[in-house]
Amino acid sequence: MTAPHGVGIGWRPEIAGFVAELPGLRFVEVIAESVPTAGPPPDDLVELRERGVTVVPHGVRLSLGGAEPVDPARVAHLAAVAQLLAAPLVSEHIAFVRAGGLEAGHLLPLPRTHEAVDAVCANIARAQADLPVPIALEPIAALFDWPDDELDEAAFLNEILERTGALLLLDVANVYANARNRGTDPVALLDRLPLERVAYLHVAGGAERGGFYHDTHTDPIGREVLELLTELCARHRPPAALLERDGHYPAAAELRTELDAVAVACGFPVVT
Amino acid sequence: MTPAGAGPAGPTEPPAATPVGSLAARQAELVAALVADGPPPPGFAPGPLAAARAALLRKRAGEVARHWPLLAAGLGPAWPTAFSEWAAGRPGGGGFRDGWDLARALRTRAALPPLGAEELAVREAEFRYDGHRAPRRRRSPALGRAGGAIAVQVAGRVRLLRPARP
Repeated sequence: MTAPHGVGIGWRPEIAGFVAELPGLRFVEVIAESVPTAGPPPDDLVELRERGVTVVPHGVRLSLGGAEPVDPARVAHLAAVAQLLAAPLVSEHIAFVRAGGLEAGHLLPLPRTHEAVDAVCANIARAQADLPVPIALEPIAALFDWPDDELDEAAFLNEILERTGALLLLDVANVYANARNRGTDPVALLDRLPLERVAYLHVAGGAERGGFYHDTHTDPIGREVLELLTELCARHRPPAALLERDGHYPAAAELRTELDAVAVACGFPVVT
Repeated sequence: MTPAGAGPAGPTEPPAATPVGSLAARQAELVAALVADGPPPPGFAPGPLAAARAALLRKRAGEVARHWPLLAAGLGPAWPTAFSEWAAGRPGGGGFRDGWDLARALRTRAALPPLGAEELAVREAEFRYDGHRAPRRRRSPALGRAGGAIAVQVAGRVRLLRPARP
């Protein structure tokens, strides 16, 4: 099964028709939790697979960064989806989504402490033991930091990648969002990350609200994010880049323009 | 939308020099502060935390609108505020149940728009939902009613018999 390459798009039921008609598409992602494993996968995904399109299950609710051990049933589901779709790898986030019996409803950042690194590495190892394919880890966009951070972002991520041997799913929009909200230089972070370990990139749009840049996935990709993507690919171009859109879907022509912009920024063939 | 820095008003404990407690306890405290009106954990900057709280509510509103498109459409421009006012401090139960709970709450206050009433009537006919556990598909025929709308379900097929009162 082919590793992700070229320009991809996050497959969502709302844009399944649009995605099915992209002539050059070789790679999509699907939200792992949305794929049932009791029966056959959704027809649209089966058709993409039959066309030779790589489908990567992207988990959003494993909570690898939770202090408690990762739920084996959730790992088993992710593993089953990977098998069902003959995926070459899966991806998840360096984040936690629940604690103390409450669901946060979204990805929350870990404290960048040695204690948290130990906890997340233990959970990644548990997941890796039960997954049939490699896992790529995605650093998230965080609106806040913990007060007791001991490591900076690059040291935190490098420590986790080194200890787990995992691949990196680098979200350029997240790098941009964090740097902008913290007042740091996004390129300086890129310089300290192992770009050769990037399985693929994420790119998405965001918006400024109340003094914060939000990684919304419902707005167009901004110029700054595309410039950062260009900058990254000029340093070391990863094998693939995927556009994430999660609502407020624009007209097909606009979505095609975004996919083309990602292709141009990376120097990949257009898929539209 | 909550502006930056509009965290909970009033005095808070001074930031602790060294945060105490295990990672598990501190993560639980943080999630409670973000979704269940828990006290702000010591040491966190209030502005960014308030922004995160508002972002989580927006994310939930989007998920509920995906499961309850007619409810959201019926409320129109009032939807984000209606959802946020209802959901603030109330932990999420997933988009399907959150929307159901919100629709019932609006019905109680006679604030459910006709489109939302029709959607609720259809869902009540399709599923048995006690407000505590996940809704279960009904096996026997049933009627669902809300705001004058009546839906009937027989053998798993649902039809709206009567539209809601405008």
